Amino acid sequence: MIDCTEYRRALLADPRSTSPELAAHLASCGECPAYTDRLLRFEARIERALRADLPMERPIAPAGGRGGAPLRGRWGGGWLAMAASVLLALTVAGGLWLGAPHATLAADVVAHMAGEPQAWARTDVPVPSPQLSPVLEQAHMRLRPEAGMVSYAQSCLFRGHHVPHLVVQTGNGPITVMVLEHESVRREEPFEEGGYRGVIVPVPGHGSLAVLAKDGETDLTAVESVAARVKDAIVWTG
Amino acid sequence: MNDDVGGNVGRARFQALCQALRPDLLRFAYWLSGDLALAEDVVQETMLRAWKARHSLKDEAAAKPWLLTIIRREYARSFERKRLPTVDVDELIAREEPMLAAAQDQELAELRAALFKLPAEYREPLVLQVLMGYTTAEIAAELELSNAAVLTRLFRGRKQLRALCGEDTSQDPEE
Repeated sequence: MIDCTEYRRALLADPRSTSPELAAHLASCGECPAYTDRLLRFEARIERALRADLPMERPIAPAGGRGGAPLRGRWGGGWLAMAASVLLALTVAGGLWLGAPHATLAADVVAHMAGEPQAWARTDVPVPSPQLSPVLEQAHMRLRPEAGMVSYAQSCLFRGHHVPHLVVQTGNGPITVMVLEHESVRREEPFEEGGYRGVIVPVPGHGSLAVLAKDGETDLTAVESVAARVKDAIVWTG
Repeated sequence: MNDDVGGNVGRARFQALCQALRPDLLRFAYWLSGDLALAEDVVQETMLRAWKARHSLKDEAAAKPWLLTIIRREYARSFERKRLPTVDVDELIAREEPMLAAAQDQELAELRAALFKLPAEYREPLVLQVLMGYTTAEIAAELELSNAAVLTRLFRGRKQLRALCGEDTSQDPEE
C-alpha cells in the first residue's frame, strides 16, 4: 500500500489516473480525499484555461484545386493580402467571439469526437451497466430505457467538466449524445461541422445536449429524434 | 485516407478531418508558441505538410497525434528559420494577447499567464496530457522521454503552477 506522499506525488503527475493502487489509498486515507478534491478542482481550472476559444480566422485549405498550391506564410502575400486577411480575421473573429458562441461549442464537440473514434462502432451490444451507471451517476442523472440502446459511455473532460459521452445505436447507425450541463443554449441549434451533422438542444435547468452523427450516415431528422428521446428519458437526481 | 486520396473525396475527407481537429491544433500551437499569429502559421504549414504526406496516414483515428507531431516539428523549424525571440509573459500580457485579454474571468486570465510562466519543458507535457488527453506513455513517445521523466515533469509543472496561482501547497509532497 502506498503512503500519502507517494499518492500525492502520483496525483500531481496525473490527477486523472485510474490506478487501483491510488484508488485503494484514497479509500483508506482520512486526509487525501480532501486533497484530491482540491486538486481536481484546480485541474478543471487548468483544463478550462487551456481550452481557450481561439478565433478561426483562416479557412482550412490544405490543397488547392489545381494540385495543391502552397499556402502563404504570414508575410508571403504582400500588404494588400495582409490587409485583407486582417479585415477577414477581424470580421470572422468578431463574429465567432462575440456573436456566435454556439458555433464554438459545436466545434468543440466535433473536435472531441476525433479523440474517441472507437465510440462510433456499429454494434448491437449495449454497454454493461457497471460501466454506464457511474458515468450517469457522476452527472447526477439516470437514463430510462426509452433512450434507446446505449453502446458506449464515458465520462469525458469537456470544457473543464466531466460530462457523459454516450452513443445510442439506431437503425441508421450510431448517434452520439453529450450531456452538457454546464453549457446553456437558448434554442435548438442545428450544425454541420467537420463531417458531422447534429443539433444542440437546450435542457431547461440542466444546460444542453449535443447530439450528432457522422454526415452522410444519418439525416438530421433522425438526430433530432434521438435528441428528443434522450432528453425525455433523462431523470435528474441532483 | 487511402481511398481516392488524390481526388475530390480524399480532399474532402482530409479537409473535414482538419476542420474538426483545427481548434485543438491551434490551441496546441498557441500553448507552444505563446503567439497566436505564429500558431496560425504553424497550423497552416502543418496542414500543407500533412496534405503532402497524407499517404503515410494509414488510419484516420491516428490523425490527431500525427498532426500534433507535425506541429511540434514545424514549430521547431520556424524557430530555426526565424530565430524567434522568446516570448516574455509580462510582455504578452502588456500586448493583451487575445487569449489572455479575452478571459472575462480574472482568475482564469491569471491561470493562463501562469501557464506561460512555466518552463516549456513542463508546459508541453501538461498541455498534451490535459488538453489532448495523452497518456503518460503517449507523451513519452511524443517527447522521446522515459515515462518516469514525463511523470517528473508533470509533477514539477503542476507544483509550480499551483504555487504561481497562490494555491495552498503546504500539503504538496516534496520531490
